[in-house]
Amino acid sequence: MSATEANIPLGEAAWELPSRGKVGMGSLIVAESAIFTIFVVAYIFYIGKSLSGPTPREVLRVPIVGTICLLSSSFTMHWAIAALRKGRSGAFRAFWFLTFLLGAIFIGGTAIEWHHLIYQENFTIQTNLFGTTYYSLVGLHASHVIVGLIGLAVIMILAVLGKIRPEHTERCEVFSLYWHFVDAVWVVVFTTVYIVGR
Amino acid sequence: MAASTDSLPRFAARKNALAVIYEWLGTADHKKIGLMYIVYALVFLVVMGVEAVLMRIQLAHANSSFLSPEVFNRLFTLHGTTGVFFVGMPILFGFGNYLVPLMIGARDMAYPRLNAFSFWMTAFGGLLLYASFFAGNSVAQAGIAPDVGWFAYAPLTATAFSPGHSTDYWNLALLVAGVGSISGGVNFIATILGLRCPGMTLSRMPLLVWMNLVMGGLVLVTISPLTAAQLMLLADRYLGAHFFDPQAGGSVVMWMHFFWIFGHPEVYVLIIPCFAFISEIVPVFSRKAIFGYPAMVAATTSIGFVSLGVWAHHLFTIGMPSYGNAFFVLTTMVVAVPTGIKIFNWLATMWGGRIRFATPMLFAVGFLFQFLIGGLTGIMLATAPFDWQLANSYFVVAHFHYVIVGGILFSIFAAFYYWFPKMTGRLLNETLGKWNFWILLVGFHLTFDTMYVPGLLGMPRRIYTYEAGRGWESWNLITSIGVIFQGVAVLIFVYNMVWSYLRGPLAGNDPWDAWTLEWATTSPPPEYNFAQTPAVRSRRPLWDIKHPEDPDSKYE
Amino acid sequence: MTAPEQKQHVSLPKPTLWPIALALGATLIAVGLVTNAKVSWAGLILALAGSVGWFFQVLPHENHEEVPVVPTPVPIATTRRSVERIAAAQVPHRARLPLEIYPISAGIKGGLAGGAAMAVLAMLYGVLSQRSIWYPINLLGAVVYEHVQVSSAQMKAFHIELLLVATALHLTTSILVGLLYGALLPMLPRRPILLGGILAPLVWTGLLYNVLDIIDPILNQRIQWGWFLASQVGFGVVAGIVVLRQVRIPTWQYPLAARAGVEAPGMMDEEEKQ
Repeated sequence: MSATEANIPLGEAAWELPSRGKVGMGSLIVAESAIFTIFVVAYIFYIGKSLSGPTPREVLRVPIVGTICLLSSSFTMHWAIAALRKGRSGAFRAFWFLTFLLGAIFIGGTAIEWHHLIYQENFTIQTNLFGTTYYSLVGLHASHVIVGLIGLAVIMILAVLGKIRPEHTERCEVFSLYWHFVDAVWVVVFTTVYIVGR
Repeated sequence: MAASTDSLPRFAARKNALAVIYEWLGTADHKKIGLMYIVYALVFLVVMGVEAVLMRIQLAHANSSFLSPEVFNRLFTLHGTTGVFFVGMPILFGFGNYLVPLMIGARDMAYPRLNAFSFWMTAFGGLLLYASFFAGNSVAQAGIAPDVGWFAYAPLTATAFSPGHSTDYWNLALLVAGVGSISGGVNFIATILGLRCPGMTLSRMPLLVWMNLVMGGLVLVTISPLTAAQLMLLADRYLGAHFFDPQAGGSVVMWMHFFWIFGHPEVYVLIIPCFAFISEIVPVFSRKAIFGYPAMVAATTSIGFVSLGVWAHHLFTIGMPSYGNAFFVLTTMVVAVPTGIKIFNWLATMWGGRIRFATPMLFAVGFLFQFLIGGLTGIMLATAPFDWQLANSYFVVAHFHYVIVGGILFSIFAAFYYWFPKMTGRLLNETLGKWNFWILLVGFHLTFDTMYVPGLLGMPRRIYTYEAGRGWESWNLITSIGVIFQGVAVLIFVYNMVWSYLRGPLAGNDPWDAWTLEWATTSPPPEYNFAQTPAVRSRRPLWDIKHPEDPDSKYE
Repeated sequence: MTAPEQKQHVSLPKPTLWPIALALGATLIAVGLVTNAKVSWAGLILALAGSVGWFFQVLPHENHEEVPVVPTPVPIATTRRSVERIAAAQVPHRARLPLEIYPISAGIKGGLAGGAAMAVLAMLYGVLSQRSIWYPINLLGAVVYEHVQVSSAQMKAFHIELLLVATALHLTTSILVGLLYGALLPMLPRRPILLGGILAPLVWTGLLYNVLDIIDPILNQRIQWGWFLASQVGFGVVAGIVVLRQVRIPTWQYPLAARAGVEAPGMMDEEEKQ
């Protein structure tokens, strides 16, 4: 060959790229949103199409306490991350625990609501179309909250063991994106089930 | 692993069999995972091919009794499901996995372990689907393998009409594989956005990488609705829910919408990576830079977006308001615009070039013509009144096989002949490659050109036999004869792969005199791809090095 | 990230069986649904083990293995040293193809001229075979009718509405085909008159031969294909010649920003600007 034989040039200037953690979580959130969209569409399409009772107005009680808890947990999560970034690990742990607690109250509220519906009202997923869509949509969201609570608990254990330091802020932040997403979905689910559908 | 007296680059000492198995089962290396995807898909390609052969034997003559109607139903269900989920997606994910990190100068995918997880989910999903053959019968008397068609319209899938577990196998297999596909899509996006080597801005990424990025995005928003719909079906079948149960007021049309919200963008998930292969191969064998790079990127992304709004053209015959019909006719036809831009750009790339008709280029040119015709018949079917006449006929079957076999399969062959040297270090045999191409071309046209006609004459799809005297016999016979040619071509290909892997001439690092980064490392590449991270200054980094007096970087 | 010397080792993720364990566990949960609940429980345990194992692969630190770098020089070179250039004046170092095209007016002129030639031939056919200059015009205008029986006398008479329809149709089609010729002819490699004047009319006639009964059944009943082909070829040859005689205009060789005078590095060949 000739004198132009050369090797590939090597990496040179500083090079900023989007964080793969945030991009990955963002992509996952897009996919999850698509799943929720389908369930919400099914819910809205079947509003008022049940052939037999009970209707939402007869059995549903609006979970105000749970909703307030879940939505405020987004704020505590935000403050926890801010505290971690500044290196205030005590505040981080406190806010993180508070987030977990608020999420747990929400899921407890859902459990009580379901227990009431199933055992007092005899209303299950098989009862009618309302039951089918209600339990599947709220259940899908609740399963996401449970996954989030498991993640919260794991990080909390690590925090108690002193394993979470300011350099882990980004990983915690990526996780917090998921939690904020779960909260935002609840706004949609709440609107669909308890406002539009009732 | 097996090799004789060769001088392929070696990066590791020989290991015993157990270590090799552990290395492959536990690997997080994108190249090994890519190869596993490809080999897995090739096995299922043969399986679905055998299913197609059986169906064509049955249909070659009128009043044939080679297969029972029950078996025929199972065969077309599995043929379709396998083709989309366990051949098309894995093989394209495999090539993407192998090539994307190399082309962006990265060491691996963004999430190497998640990558392995994605592959294994896909693999186990396929095995679960075929396990129905062995297990389905022992649990319930009714049904062995799934027989509800690849789009499994409700209420056929309800427990009343589909007792036993055969439909559950289909449902669960796609759920499992769907999780794998979604995590694969996440991985592609994170890799492409987050791991590019210095200098590789979005506007300098090779088109293959761009198109895989779009494919990853489409996977997120198409496989997810399928997963959601499968969860609903699962709830219907196991928990007694009523999503698709007309007895309780449920709507079967909703399943159709949900399925095709997945189903139509899915064909773009399959075809966009094929556009990617063609966009890399055509310039290299025309010795010209791709024509209209920004237009290609724009066309790809707009295909991605428009494809999300076309699904209900599968439902013209179900009945929609006229505004609905008009909307979906228009959106479907709009897809032809960016697709046309692409075809013209490929032609313009070839125009005035010094074209070398090596085997990859032959397949690429075959792709261009056949994909064009497949696309044009698609536009015919997009016209609602035409579709009212021909929906669910063999015309539709011919149309989508024209795209899938004439387009996707041909471009996959092109990709094999082009990148096999990079993956194995050895060139595929050119003579056998040309035989492979021409015989496949003849077989393809015998089978699928003639398949349009019985469709126009009113032959519905999915019938297991037909009466004589309707003018369908000779067309069906020719269609079946074409399958023989296609089978021979695939056998030549398999022989060529095995022979070339063992005895083929050494390829060297850059056998095609190409311009993208994967040719700037050894063939096969070492585990770490590049000993040091490369840097790029243009869309064709290797051109810049080969022609230092006239680099691309001055012009972009 | 940049080490000038060749590194001895590269860290890569270590092979691990936990992802496959999680995948198998998840699949077994599904398998249990179609076989036996015990399988699901086993799958759940395997999936949990896989998740935990995977967790410790990634946290607190990613599990790496150091792969030794095998120094393999990868020279990059081409045997195709010479690069073909477009040899023409007034063309930058890297030309954008095509260098010249016909203006849109060329296509319109060609279409009109071709249309005129075709009309003359068609009239000639009318006069020679039917002794009526209106006959071919009526045939073309009859595209608006569905299957109706029309007498020969009627076809030879003058009908204003058919004249209008036929003229509009003829003009539109002629201009459209002329535009197509104007765009295509500079792209066709050799013998533009053969391709545009003979082959294209042949193909077009072949297409019409098959579908004319649907489009214009009256024309199809009375058509004489020899004359039809002759008038098509007349159009093609005349339109082709007229288009080819027009003056070509050069295409834009620089991107819009450069033509607008924006100064930016890398926009065009720097050597040339000096």
